[in-house]
Amino acid sequence: MSENTGSLSGSELRKALASREINHVVVLGANGTMGYGSAALFTQAVPRVTFLARTRDKAEEGLAAAIKQVRSPTVASRADVGDYGEDLEKALATADIVFEALTEDLEIKRTIFDKVEKARRDDSIVATVTSGLSINQLCEGRSESFRKHFMGLHFFNPPNVIVGTELIAGRDTDPELVAFVEAFSQVRLGREMVRTSDTPAFAGNRVGFKVLNEAAQLAEQLGPVLVDRLVGPYTGRAMTPLATIDLVGWDIHRAIVDNIHQNTEDEAHASLRLPDYMANMMEAGVLGNKTGGGFFKKDGKTRLALNPSSGDYTPESEISLPDLAYIDEVARLHTVGRYAEGMALFLAAEGDEAAIARKMIAGYISYAFHRAGEVTESITGIDMIMGAGFNWAPPSVLVDTMGVGPAVAMIEGAGLPVPSNLAEAAAAGRVEKFFNHPQVNIGKYFVAS
Amino acid sequence: MANSEVYVLGGYQTDFARNWTKENKHFSALMREGVLGALEQCEIAPEEIESAHVGNFAAELYCMQGHLGAFFTEVHPAFSGLPTGRHEAACASGSIALLAASAEIEAGRYGLQAVVGIEQMKTVAADVGGDYLGTAAWYDQEAEGIEFPFPKLFGRLGDEYDARYGLKDEHLAEISRLNYANAKLNPNAQTRTWYMNKEQALCRTDDNPAIGGRIRIADASQVTDGAVCVFLASREYAERYAKGMGKSLSSIPRLKGWGHNTARLRFDDKVAESQGNEYVLPHVRSTITSAWERAGIADANGVDGIETHDCFTTSEYMAIDHFGLTAPGESWKAIEEGWLEIDGRHPMNPSGGLIGAGHPVGATGVRQLLDGCLQVTGEAGAYQVEGAKNFQTLNIGGSGTTSVSFIVGVD
Repeated sequence: MSENTGSLSGSELRKALASREINHVVVLGANGTMGYGSAALFTQAVPRVTFLARTRDKAEEGLAAAIKQVRSPTVASRADVGDYGEDLEKALATADIVFEALTEDLEIKRTIFDKVEKARRDDSIVATVTSGLSINQLCEGRSESFRKHFMGLHFFNPPNVIVGTELIAGRDTDPELVAFVEAFSQVRLGREMVRTSDTPAFAGNRVGFKVLNEAAQLAEQLGPVLVDRLVGPYTGRAMTPLATIDLVGWDIHRAIVDNIHQNTEDEAHASLRLPDYMANMMEAGVLGNKTGGGFFKKDGKTRLALNPSSGDYTPESEISLPDLAYIDEVARLHTVGRYAEGMALFLAAEGDEAAIARKMIAGYISYAFHRAGEVTESITGIDMIMGAGFNWAPPSVLVDTMGVGPAVAMIEGAGLPVPSNLAEAAAAGRVEKFFNHPQVNIGKYFVAS
Repeated sequence: MANSEVYVLGGYQTDFARNWTKENKHFSALMREGVLGALEQCEIAPEEIESAHVGNFAAELYCMQGHLGAFFTEVHPAFSGLPTGRHEAACASGSIALLAASAEIEAGRYGLQAVVGIEQMKTVAADVGGDYLGTAAWYDQEAEGIEFPFPKLFGRLGDEYDARYGLKDEHLAEISRLNYANAKLNPNAQTRTWYMNKEQALCRTDDNPAIGGRIRIADASQVTDGAVCVFLASREYAERYAKGMGKSLSSIPRLKGWGHNTARLRFDDKVAESQGNEYVLPHVRSTITSAWERAGIADANGVDGIETHDCFTTSEYMAIDHFGLTAPGESWKAIEEGWLEIDGRHPMNPSGGLIGAGHPVGATGVRQLLDGCLQVTGEAGAYQVEGAKNFQTLNIGGSGTTSVSFIVGVD
């Protein structure tokens, strides 16, 4: 089976799908954002979805949020609610999939899995939406049946908008069940599936949050406005990095980068250390958009930007930026679809700012290619999750668009380690593309601004 | 007549889920990605292209841009000086471009032609775009001052079926459900990630608002941005191409038949003309049957699947009996029996059709032909109809006004 099911033929998909029926899904932690979002997703394809939470009222809140999120009366007609007491036992007796979406805490999850283990049917699939905890650790000490049926199914938030999904098998997970969940998620739930290893933060967040945290580190000297301009849409993304951290929440950002920083030792270790100014501001209650602002905030119609050294905010219009004419030039080329020429201009642009922007992009490519084989089987899995999970130009797309020679020169110029396969390809004058997925339009990543 | 054969070497479709205005892209970027994508996909050098035809409905309105044939020359320096032109027949514009290109191949003028269907529609608000679409009807008599005129016209097609034969909303909802479900298998479909199932399609509240009589949002295809490019070739060119690619000529899809009719513009006039006829839109029926005749096949049993013009569920409901899958007025039977499913007796819109895959107006006819080619070459991936050898398209402009059908197949 390939790394993503985009390459599976119709008959292979149908065969995998035919191996089981999913008539009932039970979502645990259905009042949380990922809980109700995932539950809503399941109602699209499954006749009965049970929303469970600590209390029935909490579960009702989750159901109301799910209905609001996908705006369909279907959700209500297919859903029922309950708590972790008797309702859980009753619901699990008929559940084909038990989907766990509780707080990201090993002990909390283990406690609920005690209950799941007692009440689940022997053939039910148990999936967790965890974005950070180890799949193998989560099922440690469980019965053979539990471990065989257990896997990570990591939707990104909000799941009704972001289709990139990571599928993580544990050491003992039945490969046929993994294939089934992959096919089911793709065909019935419309997911773009990527299989990843059971490594800290899996693939997407490992690569993505390293870049986001570097942007946050850089903002300490340059300020958030300049950083988001330098690593802006023209470099291959829909949303700028610091605006992204504000959207996902500083607490979530911290949980992810701390997890990676504590549990990995790679060449970019320092890039994963949360900047002190963020930690300090979080103590004062700043968590991004959900607390009214982070790197940016709104004052009426005025957009204000943080000064990381003082903690003050200044109207964006009052912040003077250096000459960034090259960005406008690149955007003009992207507008008419001349992406390769746009990236060539980016590579050739003069000045300190362009060099900083190149270092960020070089860091992304270098880090991603170094993770291939570690977090996914090959670079393709990382490419697919960066595209479908983050809406960023996949690393291979950037290399292909720049040309492998110029891309390697950029990485070298930034003083970063050059991935060996890129170095070899450049030395051999390779012209074949790294990103060979004809059904993904690479142009969509090069937003013209 | 061997030397008048027309082959389809392949092509490329942009992702119909993309909103090019949000990407800050000009119309020319859409053209460029569509054409360069096709060249790369088919491994054809730009210098090989001898002529180009562009199908587009209304770039003058949506993009304030005319002279679209000339934009083809902007894609690659090798295209400067090529003979190009633009074709328009509302939602059938792409198919009209294909007809013109294929006629030139048949006439022996060119060996290899590019055909681009293209439309950028997300440049304007929904109500403004709906008004622009009204120009595909007789604007001042059927559309001016009416909010979303086309859903209303196709709602009336449903009413006409109801009056003549009876029509149940649940059958229309099932058409919607199937197109959305198939779209989940199509990586270029606009709605592949949208929330939809039968209850949602049948929903009669504000979560699925009425937009024109019996037509609700779930019954409608949605406007979007998209470009599709295919290459048509003479037998001589196709032979050379096949050899270069290490393929046999018989594995290259060929246009085996075509049909083309234009009915009167106003919906009332069409309905008045068809009183007493067992088909509600007899000129559409004629387009389908003339394609069969040219292909030398008797009926829809001669094709392994259909890509039809489901701009609304009512137009697919109409297509079912007009293709003769059921007796006139009995389209519901094919729906209830599951014949339209990908593994059913008469797979219809495995791509998701216009409702599921999206409807960038001028691109649709070319998209249908490309999907037909992918099917008969076994390259349709997750929405592949197993073993398909022949596929038929039906592309309709206006309220059943201009109809074009192609039969594409391998031997």
